[in-house]
Amino acid sequence: MPPVVRLLAKRLGTSLIVLIGVSLLIFAIARVIPGDPARIALGPNATPDAIAALRDKLHLNDPFIMQYGYFLADLARGDLGVSLYTNRPVVRDIADFLPATLELVIVAGLMMVAFGLPLGVLSARYRGGWIDHSIRTVTLLGVSAPSFVWAVILMLLFAFFIPLFPIAGRISDTYSIPSVTGFLLVDTLLAGNIRAFGNAAWHIVLPAFALALSGIAQAARLTRSNMVETYDRPYIEMAKSYGFPEKRIAWRYAFKPSLIPSMTIIGLDFAAMLGNAFLVEAVYAWPGLSRYGVAVILRKDLNAIVGTVLVISAMFLIVNVIVDLLIAFINPRIRYSQRAS
Amino acid sequence: MRHFLKPLAAALVAATALTGVTAATMNQASAETVLRLDEVAVGELDPAKASDYADSILMYNVYDTLVIPNEGKPGLQGHLAESWTADGNSYTFKLRQDVKFHSGNPLTAEDVVYSLDRTKALGQGLSYLFEVVEKAEAVDATTVKFTLKNPYSPFVASLVRLPIVDKKLVMANLGDGDGDNKDWGQAFLSANDAGTGAYRITAHNPQQESVMAKSPDYFLTVPAKAPDTVRLRYGLEAATVRTLISQGEHDISSQWLPPEVLKSLAADGAQLFTESGTSGFYVKMNTTKAPLDDVECRLALANAFDYEAGIKMVAINDTVSQGKPSTGAIIGGMLGANPPENVIKRDLEAAKAHLAKCKYKPEDINLELTWIGEVPLEERFALLMQANFAEIGVKSEIKKVPWALFSEQVSKPENTPNISQLFVASVTGDPDTLLYGMYHSSAKGTWQSPEYLQDADTDKYLDEGRTATDDSARAAAYSALNKRLVEIAPSIYAYDQVAVFAASKRVSAPALTDHAKAYNLSAFGFNFRFMEMNE
Repeated sequence: MPPVVRLLAKRLGTSLIVLIGVSLLIFAIARVIPGDPARIALGPNATPDAIAALRDKLHLNDPFIMQYGYFLADLARGDLGVSLYTNRPVVRDIADFLPATLELVIVAGLMMVAFGLPLGVLSARYRGGWIDHSIRTVTLLGVSAPSFVWAVILMLLFAFFIPLFPIAGRISDTYSIPSVTGFLLVDTLLAGNIRAFGNAAWHIVLPAFALALSGIAQAARLTRSNMVETYDRPYIEMAKSYGFPEKRIAWRYAFKPSLIPSMTIIGLDFAAMLGNAFLVEAVYAWPGLSRYGVAVILRKDLNAIVGTVLVISAMFLIVNVIVDLLIAFINPRIRYSQRAS
Repeated sequence: MRHFLKPLAAALVAATALTGVTAATMNQASAETVLRLDEVAVGELDPAKASDYADSILMYNVYDTLVIPNEGKPGLQGHLAESWTADGNSYTFKLRQDVKFHSGNPLTAEDVVYSLDRTKALGQGLSYLFEVVEKAEAVDATTVKFTLKNPYSPFVASLVRLPIVDKKLVMANLGDGDGDNKDWGQAFLSANDAGTGAYRITAHNPQQESVMAKSPDYFLTVPAKAPDTVRLRYGLEAATVRTLISQGEHDISSQWLPPEVLKSLAADGAQLFTESGTSGFYVKMNTTKAPLDDVECRLALANAFDYEAGIKMVAINDTVSQGKPSTGAIIGGMLGANPPENVIKRDLEAAKAHLAKCKYKPEDINLELTWIGEVPLEERFALLMQANFAEIGVKSEIKKVPWALFSEQVSKPENTPNISQLFVASVTGDPDTLLYGMYHSSAKGTWQSPEYLQDADTDKYLDEGRTATDDSARAAAYSALNKRLVEIAPSIYAYDQVAVFAASKRVSAPALTDHAKAYNLSAFGFNFRFMEMNE
């Protein structure tokens, strides 16, 4: 079996075990949060009979292990139950909200790569100069403040004081784009509506940048420190003595080995953004899954809590597997270690 | 460096081009008027489950009821009903014949009967208002008769919370379930409308937004300047609403904006809409646990509370506040309320005198003073009370309690905190729906009644209020009740709540700005047919 396939199989196997563990854990945690889900769902004025009927329907009076059994049986049929919060199937809610979050996180992830890595390279390349100092100061600010602080600051600066960007939502109300994939940037193109694409792209800039800022700063600082370390290696000295051009040394001999830790961090940040997007989504009224997740936790919406956490966990694991594969692709030692094992 | 500046310059050029495209598109906005407002998520579209403010806004615009409140004065007027008569425990309503549902189906008495049966069968929202109804029957196509199990004077007022659904349409869209009625159309009505209202639903996502369009076939005249489209957004953050209104991208805020944000919007020139007369802020004392099982102790706290400071805490500016001084247990303007000059005031000397008569020593008292975690304003009141009570030597500990935990705690008196804070509203505008659930001994142990009050006189007056048939007798019963509730102080009547909404200059809403055009029913002023767009 090729080493990369072996690595993939191994990672998928462990991911499945983690996912089962997460489902059991979140299933239990959701049930120990204070409050009767039936009472909360039906409202403060619901009749005792209606509450009892809903508890019965949700199997809340059955032993925990039986409840988990019902959940697994439904899950096997692709049914995550009905949300007590929105009164719609959880699968439909997730299908509605997940693309918005994924789109935001993917754009933020691209920004992390597009800005974080080049800034790190620049900083290392001009180590000790004003470019380095400026980048280090800016990235220090980036890692020091959480995303929601940046969300509010960016909104104030670029939507309120200098109204360059829209304040809220994914697209202006004037557009009606049929949902095909749920990703507006894709759906607008599929609809052949370039103006709508531009509008959607303009809406995503501020929230994605607010979400990505901390990751950009982290990636830049890590890339810089790794590259500075790499620049001190003897083979770089040798490359210089051979008279290789600066650009070639920077990109081929210094940047590539420094990329592995940065890739790992970007991968982890990317996955973490799925859960952390809540406050950015709240500030920009972005109809995403993170915001939905927090709302259902506050309402003790059992089915939706479990469904949302499972989906976010699955995304987290998928991203980690992809990062592992990319790193194995970049670093031959990892491929060889798979072959050896 | 030049190498890195090139892509940056290209990105800026692309960004500028996109801004141009976007701006051009925005300028193409049609002449259609759009009203944009927000509320707390979720928007429950099923009228039988409607209970929150957002649900009520949807309900009053998409559906209609048999009766509605009078404009600018107490009492009710016919709406879908042309007239009604009462005979003992029976009420007969004659329906208008010119009303059609959005589906095109005509309104019939069968629809009214079905709406009531459906509400009772689901047992959610405000269905408890109709537990008293034994049966509803269609006498003929335009006459419907309700028979009550026992006398209940506020019944007609309760009908402002019975939206009428299109039976034929719902029956054609039943989901999975048992019996003839299967799921009673719950799945269908959670995403679609089956109403007669002035607005019809064109898109609905309960966590994100409901979009409504003016219905061309409404049975009443809707002014041309009423908004053509309404976008009711859910769950916007205060900072977002603040920015959106300032930039002219939003029209009416929810009432849940912090006073500071309302103040800042008002300073920027936003209008302030208000709605009052239906709800109050009550500080509830558990009368079953020491030391508040002693009426003297409760009166000491009620006299020690600084009512004036409370009003200042929720003031927006010199003329608008989120609270009016309280005159008693009944909200000002409601049946049985005290006159406005009878404002309750702080009296530290009286507080000390009552405390001296209390069977518990002040040094032995340490009150558990809670605030609901989802309502940050209550923390400020908890701190105010802690300081006020400390002035008469009573110690207290402040505790934050999430709503879910609170609603569990109050089901047992021993778990119910000494003091909790709640906003309570009359859902029909009648004092019965404000007070019965809070103070009748049969209603103890709900979120509304953490007092666990057991008082024979209170029960007597509340029952009289339900059974007396003429308004003067009811008013007398509620006045006596109000006096009794001040005497035994199961709660501190902190202030009469005023819902304040920030609004852009684009919209006029006389029902929310002119007292003579206001309605004594929560959210009814948000009938969009009463609003006008100014551009």
